[in-house]
Amino acid sequence: MKIAFIGQPNAGKSTIFNGLAGYKTVTANFPGQTVHYTVSKVTVGNETFEIVDLPGIYSLTAIDKAELESRKYILSGYADVVINVIDASTLSRSLELTLQLAELQVPMVICLNMIDEAHRKGLEINTEKLSQIFGVPVIETIANKGIGLDKIFTSAREAFNKKLIPQVQSFHKDIEEKIEEIEKIIPSDFINRIPRRYIAVKLLEGDSELTERIKNYSEIYSKIKEIREEIKITHGRHADTVISSERHALTMNLFEEVTKVGEPIKSFRDKIDNLLTNRYFGYPLLFIILFGIFFMVFEIGKIIENPLIDIFDSFIRKLPNIIEENSLPFCLLKGLLEGFSGGLGIAIPYLIPFFIGLTILEDIGYLPRMAFLIDTVMHRIGLHGKSVLPFIISYGCNVPGIMTTRILESPRDRFITATLSVFIPCAARTTIIFGIVGAYIGGLAAANLYIFNIIFIMFLGILMKKFIPEITPGLIMEIPPLRIPTLKNVFIKTWLRLKDFILVAWPLLVVSSIILSFLEYLKLDSYLNTLMSPLVNWFLGLPEQVGITLIFGILRKELSMIMLFQAMHTTQLNTVMTNIQLIVFTIFTIFYMPCVGTIGVLIKEFGTRKTVLITFLTIIIALLLAGLSRVILSFIND
Amino acid sequence: MKTLVNVGNGKKVKIVKISGGRGVRQHLQCLGIHVGDIVTLKKSSFLGGPVLLEINGYDVALGKGVASKIEVEEVE
Repeated sequence: MKIAFIGQPNAGKSTIFNGLAGYKTVTANFPGQTVHYTVSKVTVGNETFEIVDLPGIYSLTAIDKAELESRKYILSGYADVVINVIDASTLSRSLELTLQLAELQVPMVICLNMIDEAHRKGLEINTEKLSQIFGVPVIETIANKGIGLDKIFTSAREAFNKKLIPQVQSFHKDIEEKIEEIEKIIPSDFINRIPRRYIAVKLLEGDSELTERIKNYSEIYSKIKEIREEIKITHGRHADTVISSERHALTMNLFEEVTKVGEPIKSFRDKIDNLLTNRYFGYPLLFIILFGIFFMVFEIGKIIENPLIDIFDSFIRKLPNIIEENSLPFCLLKGLLEGFSGGLGIAIPYLIPFFIGLTILEDIGYLPRMAFLIDTVMHRIGLHGKSVLPFIISYGCNVPGIMTTRILESPRDRFITATLSVFIPCAARTTIIFGIVGAYIGGLAAANLYIFNIIFIMFLGILMKKFIPEITPGLIMEIPPLRIPTLKNVFIKTWLRLKDFILVAWPLLVVSSIILSFLEYLKLDSYLNTLMSPLVNWFLGLPEQVGITLIFGILRKELSMIMLFQAMHTTQLNTVMTNIQLIVFTIFTIFYMPCVGTIGVLIKEFGTRKTVLITFLTIIIALLLAGLSRVILSFIND
Repeated sequence: MKTLVNVGNGKKVKIVKISGGRGVRQHLQCLGIHVGDIVTLKKSSFLGGPVLLEINGYDVALGKGVASKIEVEEVE
């Protein structure tokens, strides 16, 4: 049996999904966090359910690409049962989606999630009455605490067995007549798996996708246009507005019927919330929060890194006593150890505090507030506040960051945001900044690199705005309430992100490290380095051995640094490279060429042509910035 | 005409008209913002920034451009 979770953004679908399927998808307190669907099989007793977590969707009229994905899935008719997940505290709005889902005539269960949040807002919901009205089971859950999740499969089974198809709620009579009129003229072969009523309503609303398809039947198309015009004349408003108001009125009536509204509990949270978005305190707080995380990552990382590196160093130094130096097994073993210690000693100490910080920020719900605060700044670079989510996620990893651009409404915003995201130092590059500049030059220098990076991205944004001008639709975004992150969720999410590193990046580090050792053994490395030397040595002024590390860095950015230790035969880089060289190297690795994973996702989201364009741009910019910083820093130093 | 941009902090207003293209209109409708709704301004626009409003118990942020397309009248 296939069960699809459908609901408005931030209703908690993914939290429920994770609660049922074990932790599979990343959740956050940000509307539209899930941008693609996840499928999982869950066995309860002797029955296997296939559950699908879909991106949140406010209405079956899709606004952005993520919503379109959901709608496509829902309309495909794959799901046997639909679980309509509702944030109970926004019931009055959420029911609008429920009304539309009812038109699809698939067995359904209504799941009132975050019922505790609703109580805080003073809402008492009569679930029995709601169940009577729609004729489907209604259950209450508090997903982040795991309460009520056990009822989901039993009610889904019940809805499926008894064919509990939701009752369509009727609009006013005059509108119903128009709907019926359209229903009658829709050709029977026109998307025949979807109920006629749904199609009729959507055509009346002027849904772009369906309207495009009905244009093939020109007579019917002109008839529908006529009907829309009639409504506009009789109601004095566009047909889509009329339908939407009808639906709104209907939901408000339903809402009043099933809910008792009491006094909301004014809490400490509201006060904090008020402060976070305050016009005077909001910005200093934003600064403190971001830099707080930065220094936490830096300080904690340093504490873990040093002893770990010492252990491996002493071990590698003792290696010649065990195996004959410069023999093939020696080289390979050394490569293995260096790759292993690079992952454990340099990357992981910074990744753990970084992921914890990011998760807490996400789960509290600070990111939407950030979007609100920096909307004005974003407009300067031709975007709006919502782009903050892809940007912040890109600090973790560019791949999900770029996928998150799907929450943006216009293709232009998506492209610009993705291009700028590529320049954001992800966790991998963060380990380079901390492991090289932070470790040898100091925390302040590392912080300055971040600021330099942000200033550059803004500059590039302004430049791109000049080349691709367009008025963005502007910020329209729900700001969900602040939530206290659960310890379990923070822990599991950090682990989920770390697992990615351990399973994918770390083995790659070890293998590449061994390959480098092998190349060194065969003396092939110097050949590659000579090939790269005009760029590395002549232009950037770096030691020739750096060349090969930059090639490997394209696979994973951390590789450049970890192999640098290996290529320079030391973990004390400052003994073989000057501070200027360390900074130039770091700047180059931050900006040059997206890693293989990022290139992959760029091709998937934007096509090959644009990906080549972005890649080309990054190389030019990296050369420019690294070359320039070399000249300027040498000049200052003199 | 008064729009959401020139309403003070904490004021309650009723939406009387939403101008702008179908895209913006639909997007607002999806978020439960309709003509006739009563909204409370939680944060008014500051230096051309967005507004934050409460509608039916939840918060929505609107950029200045969008907010200037929503005509309102004060209630109470």
